[in-house]
Amino acid sequence: MTESFISKSIKRNEDPRLLTGKSTFIDDINLPGMLHVAIKRSDYAHGRILSLDTSEAKKLPGVVAVYTAEDLGDYWHPGPLQVPPPTAIKGSVFYARPLECIAKDKVRYSGEPVAVVVAESRYIAEDALDYIYLDVEMLDYVGDLEKALEPGSALVHEDLESNLAADVVQEAGSWDKAVAEADHVIKKRLVVNRVAGAAIENRGIVAQWDDNMKILNCWATTQGPIPMRNSIAKYLGLLENQIRMMNPAIGGGFGPKIMSSQIDDVIVPWIAIKLGQPIKWFEDRRENFLGTTSERDQVHYSEIAVKNDGTVLGVKDVFYHNTGAYNPYGMTVPLNTQTHTVSNYNIPNFFTEIKMVFTNQMVVTPVRGAGRPQGVFVMERLMDAAAKRLGISPVEIRRKNVLQPEAFPFHTGIIGQDFVEGILDSGNYPAALEKTLEAIEYDKFKNEIQPKLRADGKHSGIGVILFTEGTAVGPYEGAKVMVGVSGKVNVVCAYSNQGQGHYTTFAQVAASQLGVKVTDVNVVIGDSGQWQWGVGAFASRGMTLVGTAIHQASVKVREKALNLASKLLNAPVEELELNDGVVRIADIPEQFISLGDLAMKANPTRGTVEEGMEPGLEAASYYGPPHGATGFGCLGMILDVDAETAMPKIARLVITDDCGTPVNPMIVDGQIHGGLQMGIGEAFFENLVYDEYGQMVTASFMDYLFPQASDMPDKFEVKHMVTPSPLNPLGIKGVGEAGAIGVPACYMQALEDALYEHDLDIRESSINPSKLFHYVKNAKSA
Amino acid sequence: MKIEGEHLFNGPRQDVWDMIQDPVVLASAVPGMDKLDKTSETEYYGKMNIRIGPVSGAFDGKLTMQNPVPPESTTLLVEGKGAPGFVKGAGNAVFVEQEDGKTMLKYDADLSIGGTLASVGQRMIDSVAKSMMRTAFETLDRALEARLAAKSVGKATEEVVYEKASEGDYVKAVAKDAVGGFTSSAEGKLILYIVPLLAVIIVASILLSRCSG
Repeated sequence: MTESFISKSIKRNEDPRLLTGKSTFIDDINLPGMLHVAIKRSDYAHGRILSLDTSEAKKLPGVVAVYTAEDLGDYWHPGPLQVPPPTAIKGSVFYARPLECIAKDKVRYSGEPVAVVVAESRYIAEDALDYIYLDVEMLDYVGDLEKALEPGSALVHEDLESNLAADVVQEAGSWDKAVAEADHVIKKRLVVNRVAGAAIENRGIVAQWDDNMKILNCWATTQGPIPMRNSIAKYLGLLENQIRMMNPAIGGGFGPKIMSSQIDDVIVPWIAIKLGQPIKWFEDRRENFLGTTSERDQVHYSEIAVKNDGTVLGVKDVFYHNTGAYNPYGMTVPLNTQTHTVSNYNIPNFFTEIKMVFTNQMVVTPVRGAGRPQGVFVMERLMDAAAKRLGISPVEIRRKNVLQPEAFPFHTGIIGQDFVEGILDSGNYPAALEKTLEAIEYDKFKNEIQPKLRADGKHSGIGVILFTEGTAVGPYEGAKVMVGVSGKVNVVCAYSNQGQGHYTTFAQVAASQLGVKVTDVNVVIGDSGQWQWGVGAFASRGMTLVGTAIHQASVKVREKALNLASKLLNAPVEELELNDGVVRIADIPEQFISLGDLAMKANPTRGTVEEGMEPGLEAASYYGPPHGATGFGCLGMILDVDAETAMPKIARLVITDDCGTPVNPMIVDGQIHGGLQMGIGEAFFENLVYDEYGQMVTASFMDYLFPQASDMPDKFEVKHMVTPSPLNPLGIKGVGEAGAIGVPACYMQALEDALYEHDLDIRESSINPSKLFHYVKNAKSA
Repeated sequence: MKIEGEHLFNGPRQDVWDMIQDPVVLASAVPGMDKLDKTSETEYYGKMNIRIGPVSGAFDGKLTMQNPVPPESTTLLVEGKGAPGFVKGAGNAVFVEQEDGKTMLKYDADLSIGGTLASVGQRMIDSVAKSMMRTAFETLDRALEARLAAKSVGKATEEVVYEKASEGDYVKAVAKDAVGGFTSSAEGKLILYIVPLLAVIIVASILLSRCSG
């Protein structure tokens, strides 16, 4: 048996080079003759451009060129849409307004690019920005999602009748029927705040035109190297393979780096060719806050229909979704909200409607969680409200309605971001709930600990919620696996790695088939010169899709190696074993041949070959699932609240997660930890705020608060379940967003329980001491 | 941003009105204000140079008078922009005679603020605006006292000597009003400078309106 490295917590291959500072990040790339770009951005949220004067900037010594939309001529055009709208949903409406790489006639958000300076240094380029004069006729700012759709609102896109960007209605069962049969219908207006991806490294791109080879070398921090390469090829009218797109080491992604056809990848390659010099642009933090993309920001009008015994008959959720000034990313985020609202429960009737709204704000694209936390927040808040109305415990109502293990595969009737009906492939949700309740000692806390604390005047509360994580959606990914003459293995794919540990986990998959050490597998991610098919890093799909493609390719390479060895060793394949980098006859261990020698012999340099022969110990494979694989879990939290300062402290946090087969459990834990930190940030610290004039007032880390180490619980108590997905041979599901999804819902349940005497009704996903103080002040019992 | 407040001048309304028609006095009350020019009957142009870190650059301001009623009230429109961003809005000022011969100024303004001023400075704007107002009014109080003293002995009010506002006083005032502790970071120190710039403009805009009366 070849040793399997699946489900082993192997130390990461990439850590030695990262920890010793030997990785090359985008800003480490410096080429001879390289020029630097800085971007002039609009200070105005909404206005018609009256004039844009760059003449003084051009005179500054060291400035090479200044470009505006006008200077781009025919090269300027909006788009394309990065994600098409779903046509599978009947009656859906989508008004496509793809991104304008650089504003032409109108500015639509504060931070929108209006001009680009190219200079000998970034310092000079930045200085030149002060000498570009933008004059606009200010227009009314559109920022309130509900008012934006009222008649008479200013229009973000004046060729449209309103600011409605899309309207999608989906219904499974009949909400009207649920209402007719219900004993109670409870309504809530729920607000989800806006958060930044805020990777430690901002975005960047370097482009270099090789006029001799007619090849554009490009390095970018993109999460989707192939789509970005293709967008550049389309803009420049080049063949795809004339652009070599390479990912350097990337310092975090969290969603916003998936975007292409933005100013950087549209303009920087164009300038590099035009000027014949390498060009670098690296985003600064303020630009990242103002001008990249971010997510959440929805207003939900939600209702739940329940019977007196706690049976939930239906849920209705009509929500406004902010897409910002353009909608280049289609419907991905709000569709995720629709597919993640009722998904943990057996809810026979579900009505959900998206009203996507254009506003004078930065564009909305996924940030870790990507619509899922909103759906879970709405559902879990409704469950809490129903439990309160019926006088039963939050746990009881969940136990009563949770989807049972025999229900899988479960057809939801709701079409998702992959444009097919969501099907929950596998799971055991009640087990996750019970495991969490046991680990956090729910009954003991409620019956023994909490009463004592309350008697002492202390405020400590518990929350327990369920979540699903739709992951691993199509369309496809691919990979190529090759055994080299050294006996080491090379794996190439066009995914993108921002810290997820792929250099290790992908290696584990290949090594498990090819009988080599994990450290002997070299993984190349995101170099279109080596492999040019793939989609990108989003929706927690890397391990499942690329991992499966690598597994399939490795199986083919293994077959090739064994077949060749069978001939050379003169023994049937069944009698061979592959381990420690050699193929040997199991019963005659002294008869063997190394993988390196096989690789050499697999590429004959003289003689003839059999018909249909494919050279090398190499194979490629592609994998595209029929629909996503859905992970799930349960989150429990105990919060201690200081009643005087309104400052909560997480006393305990238990999460049970099931992502199918964990390829590397240590890395799975790391993914969950990171997600939880983002979730805690969203619930209590992080908040992107626009003022009433459309100015973002949280555009630095002074005002956009990250949770610090001291804000974290002493430990994350992570429990695992393994329900392998039937959709792929290794049984993998994604896990990248799991931790981030459930925290706000759980946090608010625990807060309400801690401050029980005030009977709070928290209707937003992000709170802080000031807000909490006002909730308490305005509470009924106050 | 909305600001409002009032200030009691220790002198008769007409003298206050006359004083604030003097651009030299006004400029002296606004630290960093280099000059004020009257470009038409109802328009003023002011220029300030700010040289503080990444928000360095010239800030140009245009003020347009609306409906001045000397010496009682006026409305004005303000529009300023430069490297640190822009300010646009409207303000009102009313001078009310008091029974004891003093004059109460009541002011309010609604300003749209954009760029670095808003995205980096927002958090401190309110408290710093207050500091700025105080510094400016202290200067005007001294100017008014000197002018009234000169007037009582028959001297020309234009040549009186009083202590003018300096950027140093102003930064000190801001530091005093600012929340403790935040000055320790480099960015915090930066804020000390950015936000006052805004306050300068607000004060200037209100006071400049007097000039046309």
